Amino acid sequence: MSKLLKDYRIGCLLAALIAMLVLFLYPSKQQKSPTYNYTFIIDITRSMNATDYQQDKQAVSRLHFVKQTLRELLRDLPCESKVGLGLFTERRSTLLFEPLEVCSAYTEIDTAISKIDWRMAWAADSNIAKGLLSTLDMLKKSDSSVIFITDGQEAPPVNPNYQTDFSTIKGQAKGMIIGVGGLQAVPIPKFDSQGKQTGFYSHDDVPHRSSFGQSNLDPSQMKGYNARNAPFGSEAATGNEHLSALQETYLEKLGAESGLAYARLTDLKNLSRALKNPKLATEKIVQTDIRRQPALLALLMLSLVYLPRVYLFRQFFSLIPRLQFGRR
Amino acid sequence: MNWAVNTPWALTGLLLALLPLFNSGMRTSPASWTALIPGDALSAFVVCCLRLCAVAAIAGLVLGIAGLHRTEQSRKRIGHGAHIVLLLDRSSSMDNTFAGHAPNGSDESKSTAARRLLTDFVKQRQNDLIGFAEFSTSPLFVMPLTENKNAVTAAIAATATPALGFTHVSKGLGMAISFFEQQPVTGSRIVLLVSDGAAAIDHDSEQKLRLWFKQQQIRLYWIFLRTAGSPGIFDQPEDSRDDNAGAMPELYLHKFFLGLGSPYQAYEAESPDALKQAIADINQLENLPMHYVERIPKEDLSAACYSVAAFLLLVLFGVKFCEVKR
Repeated sequence: MSKLLKDYRIGCLLAALIAMLVLFLYPSKQQKSPTYNYTFIIDITRSMNATDYQQDKQAVSRLHFVKQTLRELLRDLPCESKVGLGLFTERRSTLLFEPLEVCSAYTEIDTAISKIDWRMAWAADSNIAKGLLSTLDMLKKSDSSVIFITDGQEAPPVNPNYQTDFSTIKGQAKGMIIGVGGLQAVPIPKFDSQGKQTGFYSHDDVPHRSSFGQSNLDPSQMKGYNARNAPFGSEAATGNEHLSALQETYLEKLGAESGLAYARLTDLKNLSRALKNPKLATEKIVQTDIRRQPALLALLMLSLVYLPRVYLFRQFFSLIPRLQFGRR
Repeated sequence: MNWAVNTPWALTGLLLALLPLFNSGMRTSPASWTALIPGDALSAFVVCCLRLCAVAAIAGLVLGIAGLHRTEQSRKRIGHGAHIVLLLDRSSSMDNTFAGHAPNGSDESKSTAARRLLTDFVKQRQNDLIGFAEFSTSPLFVMPLTENKNAVTAAIAATATPALGFTHVSKGLGMAISFFEQQPVTGSRIVLLVSDGAAAIDHDSEQKLRLWFKQQQIRLYWIFLRTAGSPGIFDQPEDSRDDNAGAMPELYLHKFFLGLGSPYQAYEAESPDALKQAIADINQLENLPMHYVERIPKEDLSAACYSVAAFLLLVLFGVKFCEVKR
């Protein structure tokens, strides 16, 4: 028997067998890993057609870039994360589907995102603050984080006297505002009913000032002011509302008022980092496969048995039984 | 047999499986002159077997570590079913009850009833591919044709959010038909339109829809959720001055559908029960034989690899005790 034990190969094989036993007894480990539950609300108003993103050296629209980035993000999300989708236009948003598990419904979510089109808009205004409030209100019972993706272009402009009050939902909502677009103002493309571009919105196409409700301006400064008939004066307003840029300060303000964080969409990496905010993650216990470790050990041991001509090595192993069993 | 591994680079470990070919893995015993020992076919065979065992054991471990699996398979089968696109009206009036009021505790709204019954319908149709589109002022693409029933029910559930705008039925139908492009024609192709109103369709759209319905061989079902006191699809105008698409859009849409030349069936539901009946009818009717693809999920084979390797290890270990000791 002692001679047998002198053979290091027996030791190696035994170790390999023990490793395999461990492998079958403890194949997996419980591990906490973060999963996410997002409801993406995508702004599909006209200003999202402005082309100020670059992709493959081609100018692409904000909406196209958002869609592309979200589809790439979808591949990044860990299984058991959920994604829902909604659209924003006018003063509110609609939900297309409730959050779905990303791995089992990948194709469905991916197709649905790819089919989003600005022509799905059921009305033309772009009242972002009100839209954000109604969206947060609509989804406050859901445990999904609202990811509101917009360029912050209010059309028509908001009268500062009538600002949206977020106090009712502040602190209840979980989510983020993602700003889209460049900081440089660019023209907004105009399309005909067949979907062909027919130029850009010009200065005369859009209102440059809110003419709703009571004026916020000083009557004495206004030309042609009449409290009843011309509360905003008689002069036509001028402005740059026909051009669109990402309104970062405005969105940051909305974020602060509604208790949502703000991030700007530049590329997938930044978006992914912003969205993987631990505040938006839920720790789920998942079974992780750990069979590799004992299997590697067994492989090592078995390879040692068949490793050709390693004299030093053999001498080392043949020493061990001698030490143990002495010179009996 | 579509086999794949999770970590391809781990397959370089397969080189280790060559080791037993160079080394018997047995202790050598000194012999004065090996040429003296006669050749023995049986011994040679046993040694060869043992080496092969070792090769297989190492290969098994490496494949297990690399995560060998069989990729998701699909199998074509013939069953009964259909490709169905649900086209739901999201106009604001859908949020009222069948009596035309805002819903109170006792009566559910038309959209709630539609949501509940459509969800049941989807759950019953196991083999079908079901898509989901909505329309109000503009059409909304929601869910492509899919066998994932969870996805479709999630889309139906999302219609619980408040309704939008008006009824623009022709665009909605166009969107629903587009779902069938690039889909094989098998079984029946159905557009199930659920709406509580209609709108006049302009001439251009009429022509396009006629063509598309023919091209795509689509069968149309229209479940009209009739609100009490509003004109129905089967009502005839009492006054000839009302006999136009503007005054009686429901009747004219019905006439247009009848003239499509493709199979068409209309149901007028004035209560949730009637809606339930209509859906049950369609469920009965649409069971034509069709080809469908059954998915067999990805199967992990690493456990099998590890088992084989463990068994061979046991054999090698056992054989060690049969070695001649000197």
